[in-house]
Amino acid sequence: MIRLSNICKSYRLGEVLLPVLKDISLTIGAGEFVAIMGPSGSGKSTLLNIIGCLDSVESGSYHLNGIPIDGAGDEELALIRGDKIGFIFQLFNLIPRINAERNVELPLLYAGIARHERKRLALAALESVGLGDRALHSPMQLSGGQQQRVAIARALVNRPDIIIADEPTGSLDSLAGREIMEIFAKLHAEGKTIVIVTHEEDIAAFARRVIRLRDGRIERDDIRP
Amino acid sequence: MKKKLSPGFLLDIFFESLLALRDNRLRTILSILGITVGIAAVMTVGTVSKGGHFIIFSELETFGLKSVWVYRDQADKDPHRAVRAGTGIENADYAAIRAAGCPALRLLSPVVYGRRDKMLVRYGNKYGNGQINGVGADYLEINNDTLMYGRSFREEDISRNRQVAIIGTDVQRDLFGPLSNPVGRDIRIGERKFTVIGVLAAKSRDFLASIGSSGGQDANNRLLVPYTVFQQMTGFKDINFLQAEAISLPDADTAVSQIIRILKRHHSDRFTYKSGTMAQYIRTTENILKWVTFIGVVAASVSLFVGGMGIMNIMSTSVLERTREIGLRKALGASRKEILIQFLLEAILISFIGGILGLILGILAGYSLAFFSHIPLEPSWPMVLVSMAVSIGVGLLSGYYPAHHAAGLKPVEAFRFE
Ligand SMILES: Nc1ncnc2c1ncn2[C@@H]1O[C@H](COP(=O)(O)OP(=O)(O)O)[C@@H](O)[C@H]1O
Ligand SMILES: [Mg+2]
Repeated sequence: MIRLSNICKSYRLGEVLLPVLKDISLTIGAGEFVAIMGPSGSGKSTLLNIIGCLDSVESGSYHLNGIPIDGAGDEELALIRGDKIGFIFQLFNLIPRINAERNVELPLLYAGIARHERKRLALAALESVGLGDRALHSPMQLSGGQQQRVAIARALVNRPDIIIADEPTGSLDSLAGREIMEIFAKLHAEGKTIVIVTHEEDIAAFARRVIRLRDGRIERDDIRP
Repeated sequence: MKKKLSPGFLLDIFFESLLALRDNRLRTILSILGITVGIAAVMTVGTVSKGGHFIIFSELETFGLKSVWVYRDQADKDPHRAVRAGTGIENADYAAIRAAGCPALRLLSPVVYGRRDKMLVRYGNKYGNGQINGVGADYLEINNDTLMYGRSFREEDISRNRQVAIIGTDVQRDLFGPLSNPVGRDIRIGERKFTVIGVLAAKSRDFLASIGSSGGQDANNRLLVPYTVFQQMTGFKDINFLQAEAISLPDADTAVSQIIRILKRHHSDRFTYKSGTMAQYIRTTENILKWVTFIGVVAASVSLFVGGMGIMNIMSTSVLERTREIGLRKALGASRKEILIQFLLEAILISFIGGILGLILGILAGYSLAFFSHIPLEPSWPMVLVSMAVSIGVGLLSGYYPAHHAAGLKPVEAFRFE
């Protein structure tokens, strides 16, 4: 369970302090499928990064599954990021010099799993996104949609409870985007908590709950029945 | 909460490091070169210093490593005491030392040169010059002198005052020409007739050869006769100095003190004596060599340091270029420590490869120097270990700062970086 209370975050731009998130309080329950929307610069990515434990907050508190994130040390944060959260990015963020299978293996490598087991799990994850036959391809040899599916396999390989995706379809054509969203829908059906940032209404339509940000505040928070 | 490294983590990260270095081939090669040159320089210094050691030893050996010499300290003439003239060593002293059978002594010879004059020598109508020395039967062996022709002095040559001479190659050349064997020929030294019984093999005239008991004289210009005969010729009754050979190099000092003790007893402490040993010269030259090596090592270290700076530069660039990747790895669960290990591994890999190449280059340089200089130069194996350790150390140190910086980044900072 994700629980944010009175989160503030600002960036310093030279002399001025630019507030990006202003007093955000938000709770996302286990198994929810949430889309965060809002105009560019409204703070969507910043909020998502905080939820994903990639960024720190300035004030307010954040508890993930009851654990306070603000006080966590480097190793504890590394464990949370590795075990509890799977990340998917707009630009896929695959490491170009290693093949698809090794890319998918990375979270397992940092999770302390033995080489043989890593390979087995990574191949299974690639199968699950329909890329079992592309394991030895380098990222450069894959289409955008395929690359994003490798990234999803990588996000899933550690069986995290929470999937976090920042504009996962933003670099894809609508067909590939649709395929990606279908995977998300399936993951949601399996009980994963999913939080995505998007500015496309038809992508957001996959989610059960849509949070709209404007100027660093929650403007609307709609739950569809 | 503590994270455990995966089994095989290092191996996998190592594999990725290799790939990363391959991605930046030119840069990698350049920084490897930096280390290679540094290590090769260190190795070469080690090899050359070891070779220098060998040269000095073999050079000194031609003068007898275990040789010692004892003479009166001429500075002991105290104006308030009765003036004591003389060399402080008489024929009786020499006989007494021989009779005493000092355990540290193996060989003993008097050396008499009078006023150190050069003597005119003549054979038929040919003339030459020689440094004349009256010596005992052990002289040649003590000085590691070998003979090109003929034989050494025998005890009876000395005791029976035989008019025999052993000549240096310069004297031989002047009187007989370089290629003829003069043994058995009669030459004139001053007024007297001597039979040549031997010709000394030539000795090096180098700087190193000029030290030691030969006291700056040219070893190849010597004219050796029995000391008894020399004393008859000149009317000089004393011995200028005693030369001896100790049973071993460490016994040289004992041999000297045994000789001096007997001399002092015989002269009721009226003289003081000084001594020289090859061991002292060895110590001195080794000291000089140590400094030369040290300077060489410092110079080589500078180039190693420059190589290290190269690695640092390259690692910094590599970290900068891969900031996004570092952010990604952290998002995927990498801890600060794991990122640090990855980049340190890359730095060590560069310096290790550079170190190995430098080693090979250094060893090859040593062997080719040996080949062309005909000096048996050999790599100094401790230096090999030291340079490997140093190259890995350089990698660690120069990789640490950039790696530490990379590891400390917040994932989001890394992502925002373009
Ligand atoms: N590291 C940063 N330094 C300064 N300003 C930043 C930084 N990251 C984001 N911002 C600013 O914060 C605001 C919100 O950014 P972001 O959360 O990325 O918005 P969104 O994802 O909704 O487009 C923007 O105005 C952006 O310029
Ligand atoms: Mg954004």
